[in-house]
Amino acid sequence: MKNNLKNNKTNANIYIPLNGKIEEITQLTGDVRLFKIKTETPIDYVPGQFFMLSVWGAGEVPISVASLPEKNGTIELCIRKTGIVTSAIHSLKTGQSIGLRGPYGNGFPIDISKGRDVILVAGGIGIAPLRPLIQQFIKNHRKAGKVTLLYGSRTPDEIIFRDEVEEWEESGIAVALTVDKGNDNWKGNVGLVTGLWPEVRTDFKEAVAYICGPDVMIKAAMRDLFFLGMPDERIITTLEAHMKCGVGKCGHCYIGPQYICTDGPVFSYKEIKEQSILK
Amino acid sequence: MKKELILDKNNLSYWLRQIRKKRELIGPLMNGGNDIVFKSVDKIHELVLDCPASLPSPKEFIFPQYEPMLRIRQASNVKYQEITDLSEKTRRVIFGVRSCDISALGLLDRFYLKGHKDSYYAERRRNTLFISIVCKDPDPTCFCIGLGTGPYLEKGFDIQITDLGDRYFVQIGSPEGAKTVKAMSFLFRRPQKTDYEDQYEVFLSSKARFHKRINLKGIRQMILEEKVKDDFWQWVADRCFECGGCVYNCPLCTCFTVTDRAYSEGTERIRLWDACMFKGFTRMAGGILPNEMMVKRTKRWYYHKLIHYPETLGGFGCVGCGRCTITCPGKIDMASIATKLKGLAISEEEK
Ligand SMILES: Cc1cc2nc3c(=O)[nH]c(=O)nc-3n(C[C@H](O)[C@H](O)[C@H](O)COP(=O)(O)OP(=O)(O)OC[C@H]3O[C@@H](n4cnc5c(N)ncnc54)[C@H](O)[C@@H]3O)c2cc1C
Ligand code: SF4
Ligand code: SF4
Ligand code: FES
Repeated sequence: MKNNLKNNKTNANIYIPLNGKIEEITQLTGDVRLFKIKTETPIDYVPGQFFMLSVWGAGEVPISVASLPEKNGTIELCIRKTGIVTSAIHSLKTGQSIGLRGPYGNGFPIDISKGRDVILVAGGIGIAPLRPLIQQFIKNHRKAGKVTLLYGSRTPDEIIFRDEVEEWEESGIAVALTVDKGNDNWKGNVGLVTGLWPEVRTDFKEAVAYICGPDVMIKAAMRDLFFLGMPDERIITTLEAHMKCGVGKCGHCYIGPQYICTDGPVFSYKEIKEQSILK
Repeated sequence: MKKELILDKNNLSYWLRQIRKKRELIGPLMNGGNDIVFKSVDKIHELVLDCPASLPSPKEFIFPQYEPMLRIRQASNVKYQEITDLSEKTRRVIFGVRSCDISALGLLDRFYLKGHKDSYYAERRRNTLFISIVCKDPDPTCFCIGLGTGPYLEKGFDIQITDLGDRYFVQIGSPEGAKTVKAMSFLFRRPQKTDYEDQYEVFLSSKARFHKRINLKGIRQMILEEKVKDDFWQWVADRCFECGGCVYNCPLCTCFTVTDRAYSEGTERIRLWDACMFKGFTRMAGGILPNEMMVKRTKRWYYHKLIHYPETLGGFGCVGCGRCTITCPGKIDMASIATKLKGLAISEEEK
């Protein structure tokens, strides 16, 4: 069956990517770029979900949505160059096309933050999936209580969305930044993001946390929040796994009884404790 | 139309030849060595029906080892790339399949077709008809009997045949199966009382011939009760050669990898069988739960088949076909592990 995707709105074969066009590329830091991609028809999605991005000849990779859905059908994806496919994506220019399948995965639970204080914990590129969540909290600021963002980067130059962080602060989000290694101009915190708990003016027992970053950071943050009295079901994180299909078939992301791609990628600490039979 | 019929053996090849006019005929054939493989049948008289299990299982016709998925061509004057769906649509009949492999299909259907429907599997499945044969003489490695997945089936088949010496007892189990028989109804006759008796006789004698009695429920229970310790899984892992033989031959292993390959005008995306026993299977740029240790990988295979499969798909991820027993050089196949664990449980009780 010939399938010119220009007209392909009902995607019968789930493995056929939709055609997206790169509208804009922004260099955020040395190895991170933000791609604004336009699809023929707008696609609906929620923060925490991801797309499988395709570059023909290189392959497919899972990338989280870094924006809220737009009526004009643009999606923003924030991508760090780390290997074959991500390098191929970085070599694309504005106007070129890119394949995408999705959205996949469950997304962040948002209802549990209703009327509660929120703590967002980000490490490095982990800020990307949390960005639409922050945008959502700013849009509906009355729904959640006080929102605090703790964000750790390796160096001051590697702080992704630095300008936006300032805007978020102006919109009422409490922000604490930290870096592993400062430089001459850096006057802020130095050290791990989990060293920022004292900056949080919130009752941990009543709050909700959304965590995203490298696995060591996730593990440390979840454990700390648990000891600070936050209930397991309100400690939320998003996990990464090797993924080949994104739809629960290839088996690569299977960890114990769960497929990260379809049962996750967002899990609560409660689920992580209860269900990872294979520790 | 009657669901049970008799086919004279002399009419089998005529029937198959008629079916072959509409579908590609696949069946068990002897390859150069003494192995049985399912292949496209050229000479019907070469079909081997009293044979040991085929390697690999006939799953390769619905979930092949190598499957082209998409072809992408960049047309120079077109804004969008042209994508061709390479889904395989050949209509096939697979003859001489064992009951256990048909039972496996039921679970594969549940796996590939639930949630996001796997289009490649669905296409092949829809176009394939299975004629299964009741096992008269199970292999020494077979243990379907303890799982209810063989040596004959009550349901879940398209057409099931039982060898009654000079004739076949034919049972129809699906609308597609009925169609195939109906098209040549003149070849079949109604069964007599003796036919039923003879079929029953085959069932009984087949059941009596099993060498292995394996109780996977008991093993599952042991694991759930945490009676199987990590040093046991370490022992298992130490014996695994990471050859992937178990996974490739198992009718219920479903994992694959996807890769892009260049062809003259563009790129072809293909998928290939993959094995969770392989080191790089979960490799990634620093993930939270990499299963990089062999002990985790072997344990994961057993947990998947014995614990999670029943919870999510309603049956063990094993139908007792015995192929992993034939193939595993480390003797850590399903049957050996189950036997070993049972032994451990008994010696534990005696203590
Ligand atoms: C749900 C999810 C969301 C993600 N969101 C983002 C994001 O928003 N921004 C971002 O920059 N990165 C994100 N990643 C990580 C990103 O998918 C990997 O960096 C990427 O797959 C690396 O591919 P590569 O070909 O460039 O690297 P290589 O090292 O060349 O990898 C080769 C192959 O291995 C697999 N692989 C390797 N590392 C990973 C990994 N960490 N996760 C999954 N598969 C991997 C892929 O199949 C890849 O094609 C996300 C991962 C997951 C699972
Ligand atoms: S685990 Fe072994 S015996 Fe069981 S179905 Fe798979 S190959 Fe056959
Ligand atoms: S067949 Fe045996 S040795 Fe080979 S991968 Fe499977 S368990 Fe390991
Ligand atoms: S990515 Fe294929 S099963 Fe999850």
